[in-house]
Amino acid sequence: MSVRAALPDGVRTRSAAADDAAAPTAHDRASTLPRGARGRGRPGRRGRRRIAYLYLAPALGVYTLFVALPWVHTIWLSFYTWDGVTLGTWDGFGNYRDVLTDPTMLAALEHALGFIVFFSLLPIAIGLPLAAVVGAAGGKRRYPVSRAVLFLPQVVPLIAVGVMWRWMYAQNGLVNRILDAVGLRSVTRAWLGDFTWAYVAVGLVGTWVMTGLTLVVFQAGIQKIDTSLYEAARIDGAGPVREFFAVTLPGLRADIGVALTVTVIAALASFDVVYVTTGGGPGTSTIVPGVLIYQLAFTDGKVGAACALAVVLSALIALIVLAIGRLVREKP
Amino acid sequence: MRTPDRLSCSTPRPRRSAGRSTMTAAALVAAVTGLSACGGITPGAGGQTAATPTGSVSTAIPTGKVTLTVAGSENSGTTKALAAAFEKLHPNVTVDYKYTDVNDYNTSLNLTLSSDDAPDLALLNMIGTTVKANLVRDLDPYAAAYRWNASVPSTELDQWRADTDGKRLGSGHLWAAPAGFSVVGVYYDKKLAAELGIAKPTTFAEFQADLVKAKAAGRLPIQLGNLAGHSSFVFQSIVDTADGAAKSTAWAYGVPGSSINTRGGTEGAQDLATWAKKGYTPAGANGTDLPGSVANFTKGQGLFLFDGSWDAAAINKAMPGNVGFFPLPGATVNSPATGIGTSVAYAIPAKAKHPDLAAAFLNFMGSTQAAQIEFGTGFMPVTHADTVKTPRGSVLGDVATAWAKIGQDNGLVPFFNNSTATMNTTLTSAGQELVGGKVTPAQYLAQLQADWQKGHQ
Repeated sequence: MSVRAALPDGVRTRSAAADDAAAPTAHDRASTLPRGARGRGRPGRRGRRRIAYLYLAPALGVYTLFVALPWVHTIWLSFYTWDGVTLGTWDGFGNYRDVLTDPTMLAALEHALGFIVFFSLLPIAIGLPLAAVVGAAGGKRRYPVSRAVLFLPQVVPLIAVGVMWRWMYAQNGLVNRILDAVGLRSVTRAWLGDFTWAYVAVGLVGTWVMTGLTLVVFQAGIQKIDTSLYEAARIDGAGPVREFFAVTLPGLRADIGVALTVTVIAALASFDVVYVTTGGGPGTSTIVPGVLIYQLAFTDGKVGAACALAVVLSALIALIVLAIGRLVREKP
Repeated sequence: MRTPDRLSCSTPRPRRSAGRSTMTAAALVAAVTGLSACGGITPGAGGQTAATPTGSVSTAIPTGKVTLTVAGSENSGTTKALAAAFEKLHPNVTVDYKYTDVNDYNTSLNLTLSSDDAPDLALLNMIGTTVKANLVRDLDPYAAAYRWNASVPSTELDQWRADTDGKRLGSGHLWAAPAGFSVVGVYYDKKLAAELGIAKPTTFAEFQADLVKAKAAGRLPIQLGNLAGHSSFVFQSIVDTADGAAKSTAWAYGVPGSSINTRGGTEGAQDLATWAKKGYTPAGANGTDLPGSVANFTKGQGLFLFDGSWDAAAINKAMPGNVGFFPLPGATVNSPATGIGTSVAYAIPAKAKHPDLAAAFLNFMGSTQAAQIEFGTGFMPVTHADTVKTPRGSVLGDVATAWAKIGQDNGLVPFFNNSTATMNTTLTSAGQELVGGKVTPAQYLAQLQADWQKGHQ
């Protein structure tokens, strides 16, 4: 619906026709469902519901055992002071107090939130126009090589990505050599060791990785947009830019929601890239919750504190993802 | 056909089902917490190993086919070479060595030791919580049976002594036996030194004068990679020479009342900060890792490099005949030599299946034959250091000489990094801040002391 609302007047009638054309299809599909599935308020409902649970049981069992219970266990551990080996002691909300007052923990949460710019906003801002060019449905060229190259960062394991960028950012690495070659010798530095730039440098690695993902999501989305909308826009004399803002962007609303959700989770739960490139340094300038949780649990012997930070982090992620869901939901 | 809601994250749900899922979750939590009333859910309660086994020990090698399982994070070939030699001595014994990268090894060590498949020997990088959790055997009976106290220098064994809580280090029961030592000292580029008219410094004042001289000639005085916090080598070397090994060791072991806020501590922090500020260390030190700094040093970037004996063979290969090694000199020519060092040490897990055979292997590590193997694979030998043959013209000869001098002067100091579980992290981040000019030397020392206080209270 919002697709239509955002269109220029001339296009409106055509797109409405397209929606109407789609409606009977949906209706047909609904009518092919077994009759019982649609019957509401009938006496056999309860019995069927029990059977439905039976179908759910295997998946629910696995989910409970491997996702729900460990999660509950994490919450449970977060109330203890525990070194991972010897007997733990009950600490109530002590660990949570630490998470919300310890400067390093707060810095880590702050850095994670900042990474949303690098892992989500930038990749989406870059991915949208790229997808419009590379994935345009009516376009003559399909750019298969470019698409593969742009998606490549997604295929490489993040540890390898980290190692590679560590070399690139080194004092005599590729980044500095390129800067040197274009006459910017004065700005070269060991990027990952610089208190001001290490954070940006690590963030840009995230941008590099995530852009491929957003591109693929948007490209798939573009292919689902009705081509007649583009034809209509062209008949009305819209150029590629106008076409992008009038047809592509509104048509990708849901896909942007998906990309935003996935990348925001990647930003907040980032671990691999930071761990491999800087380990949180210099000082604590790139520390993120993921690395801190690992450090607390495995080297510092503070499993309770690690769990508390993990719980706070997952709550934060859940809240933000929920908010994104609300934001991008199409209004009825 | 578009299906906009299929992938969206907050598909609106009927109210009733939301309530139901909340109830299910509540029931789940209730079920789990209900368990707690029955006991056994307090973390760590289930997995407690009974107190360390004691009882008769034997120095006899078992007859018949037997496999000794060894786990460790040592990858320079020492354990493997020792194992091969041990197998040759005892043909019925097979030694199965499992190597794991040091970070993964340390994080999984407690789980490895408490599992039913615990190895017969496990490398310890630090005592950590292994002793407190009763995961390793008290080696005192074996030390007595094999008379290690007489054959191995006390300073070397002391590094693996602790009370039964594993808190107070440096004295008490023996928990692991060394298989070879590493020692940190100063490498220097002989060609560069000759070019600058610099001889090997014999006092700390001379060392400082050399730095000034190198800088004035437009050369880098000290190569440093601090991405993983190796400025701590520079800091601790200065502290050790200025304060003396005994005082430094006491702080490293957490002896009550010790402080890093000493003359040596202040000197170390101030020098490190000043050298970084004056460009005596590379501008990109915080962004360079240790292997990177070693590579730079071998390419002629840097007159000095603070690094361990573990890199001696590689450095020698990259710049043969062109590199020397010395312990950082003290105030006078006659000041006792100090060196930061620790050993690759093996403990016998409480759950080991062949503890007597494991102890026999530990004893073999202190033999003359083992000494040559240890030295040949990059470690300083546990005993019989005087018997090892060093290749002529190699920096390994210098390292052996330095090791012998440190031994004579009783100057071996454990790594500050192992003082508490968190000290390595603190030394890394505080060291980066000090080198980056973000904290003052006094703040740096305060951070270290605060960590020490927390870990040793």
